[in-house]
Amino acid sequence: MSINEKVPVTILTGFLGSGKTTLLNRILSEEHGKRIAVIENEYGEVGIDQGLVINADEEVFEMSNGCICCTVRGDLIRVLGNLMKRRDKFDYVLVETTGLADPGPVAQTFFMDEEISSEFTLDGIVTLVDAAHIDQQLGRSDESSEQVAFADVLVLNKTDLVSDDALDNLESRLRDMNRMTRIIRAEKAEVPIDTVLNLSAFDLDQILKRRPTFLEPEYPFEWSGVYEVEPGKYELKLEEGPDPEMSLVAFANQGFSEEELKEGAEASVRLYAEKAKKLEPGNTIPYDEHVSLKLQNKGSKSFILDVEKASKVGLFTQHNAEEFNMKVLKIDSQNNVKEIPFKTERNWFAEHEHDDEVGSIAIERFGDVNPEKLNTWMGRLLSEKGVDIFRTKGFISYSGNPRRIVFQGVHMLFTAQPDKEWGNEPRRNQLVFIGRNLDEKEMQEGFDKCLI
Amino acid sequence: MPDIEPFSPRGMFHDGWSAEVDDYAIVCGWALGGKLFIVGDVLGGLYGFEGETGKLIWKKDETHSGGLLAMSIHPNGEIFATSGQDGIVRILNCNDGEEIKAIKLGKGWVEHLSWSNGGLYLAIAFSKKVYVFNQEGNEEWVSEEHPSTVSAISWSNKNELATACYGRVTFFDVANKKTNQKLEWQGSLVSMQLSPDGDIVACGSQDNSVHFWRRSTGLDAEMTGYPGKPSHLSFDDTGMLLATSGSERITVWSFSGNGPEGTMPGELSHHTEPISSLAFSNKGLLVASGSRDGSVVASFLKNDGNGDPVGSAFAGDLVGDIAWRPDDCALAAVNAKGIVTVWNFKVRTSSSSKGFK
Repeated sequence: MSINEKVPVTILTGFLGSGKTTLLNRILSEEHGKRIAVIENEYGEVGIDQGLVINADEEVFEMSNGCICCTVRGDLIRVLGNLMKRRDKFDYVLVETTGLADPGPVAQTFFMDEEISSEFTLDGIVTLVDAAHIDQQLGRSDESSEQVAFADVLVLNKTDLVSDDALDNLESRLRDMNRMTRIIRAEKAEVPIDTVLNLSAFDLDQILKRRPTFLEPEYPFEWSGVYEVEPGKYELKLEEGPDPEMSLVAFANQGFSEEELKEGAEASVRLYAEKAKKLEPGNTIPYDEHVSLKLQNKGSKSFILDVEKASKVGLFTQHNAEEFNMKVLKIDSQNNVKEIPFKTERNWFAEHEHDDEVGSIAIERFGDVNPEKLNTWMGRLLSEKGVDIFRTKGFISYSGNPRRIVFQGVHMLFTAQPDKEWGNEPRRNQLVFIGRNLDEKEMQEGFDKCLI
Repeated sequence: MPDIEPFSPRGMFHDGWSAEVDDYAIVCGWALGGKLFIVGDVLGGLYGFEGETGKLIWKKDETHSGGLLAMSIHPNGEIFATSGQDGIVRILNCNDGEEIKAIKLGKGWVEHLSWSNGGLYLAIAFSKKVYVFNQEGNEEWVSEEHPSTVSAISWSNKNELATACYGRVTFFDVANKKTNQKLEWQGSLVSMQLSPDGDIVACGSQDNSVHFWRRSTGLDAEMTGYPGKPSHLSFDDTGMLLATSGSERITVWSFSGNGPEGTMPGELSHHTEPISSLAFSNKGLLVASGSRDGSVVASFLKNDGNGDPVGSAFAGDLVGDIAWRPDDCALAAVNAKGIVTVWNFKVRTSSSSKGFK
């Protein structure tokens, strides 16, 4: 049976009161021409209007071997096992779990049980979040953070009850926890149906088609600009901004292309790791060095950039240039001031404090990996940390293999398969891990050792 | 071809009859001493065919709203019971399919039914509880809630019922309303078969193993290494061989001698896709298997569990259920497309074989 014939299943998670039943009713009442079966673990709140609804108590079955990835949901195996016998096959199955459900066993059921996996395919995990209450819930229960961690789509519901600022903060907190997820804001669970059905979230081909890079690594800087300059003396002028100081790295020869910018970013990350040299206004900015511009004085402040020969100067700044109205100015001998606009700019996803135990780790590296070393590292990582790693996704470049390798996993379960050919695209690797108390540095170093 | 030895006994499938029902046929069985063949489809359609010819004698539509889940034919062959997603158990007359009694248990699925060996009781698994009714449809006993949904039930003698669920097999004395024995093991038990004398309990587990208990000695053993969960188990009528399957292969454990612990099981590899039904003949060491690929094979086994196919046929699609006629002279298979096929099973033996003519 080909993958297309399998019935897709969406898992709907979220705490009681987050609006799951409202969303279910919306999906079922909409004219989409699909025959949807609903397996409901949580009932009594609001009735489901129509469609085939099967109630089942959650039954989490652990195995005698104690392996958590073998833990499955017995109720789903029974109900789906029966559903698949119907001749009027359903186009779609929705599983609504209780607010206290661990999504792990639900997802694992579709990998571990041969009978189920031969007929059904897990399409995606959608988690509803009550914008007004999730902050407290995240603090109180593991289930709630795990539901966020497992989600392919997070519906931030009841946004009408919360201020825009609070929503922005909440969204960035949730994004910290799960960097693979797509966040959709909604009032009364009103979201376009195609954002929750047919996600093909476990089909990496589909994801990568839609989002060639589904993750953005975090950087210690938010912005970079590249300026084409003639030899001479330049001024970097900053107005008052949100911070009394700002870190910066300058390169004398920075390319414009995305790949060159990424190389610059990688170099900057290494320099940012070193202690910053403090610069007072009027000081000259050295190249290839981490500096911290002191900006506590009122009014505008200027720093000097010396350019010896015609070049492309790249600046990687801790904050966005706009926040300080930062400008590069050329001042000639007649004191004429001319602004040099940047030739190209790029925003970077800035890192910030991670308060939650659950978080995402992203690794992005150019180059090839040694398959054997990677297998050893990954096998060890998943066996040691598999309990704490909820979801894994990514793609890798194997040396000597013309095709990209895509992979994904739930806890210790892991699949990898060849994807499209690399062609002229630069070889690179992207890995995202979502889990609890993961050591980013250790994992990055581990991966770096697999690079050739 | 003189160097190829014929199977002994030689036997084969001969054309019998075929028919079609409206939907995916999930259960079937012989009644009225083999004069009637009953089929149930997933939507709750019930059909009574004349056993010899396949002529439709009666038909009942949508007997269970939401769908049919189980059927059990009374040992006397005169009545049978069905259950479904509607939470109802129906007791029906085999002669005309008319309902004798409907038992409403409530909201939920009734997934398993089993008449006791003597036919005094009907056991009903309803979610986490098991009910026992008498032939007249009156409640005799109900169990406490099990730790999870009951996944299998089986009678060990005329009064004693075994239930399987997550982590446990329990034996209840239904007549005296007490619990006789609990066998515990952490695992999700998906199937259960008792040896005919009720001493050996075999359970297939979600973690791809078969667990045995011997009630008389208290010893248990775990047989691992199955490629899939062993959903299909069948004992021969003497309790010597247990056929098990969780994949396209059938593994047969022999309880002769000190086995099966420490012995090599028999392996039958005649199908290309996983087994979907498995049944020993009523007498003798013939095991019939149906597969998702639509193939049906009958194999004659030796005491060690190994054996050879003695006949095979193609049923057209995933085999939902198979049933030997009480005299073992016919084998029936029903499939996912609703096709019913009955083969006459003729065995010619050079030497007389014990158990079948």
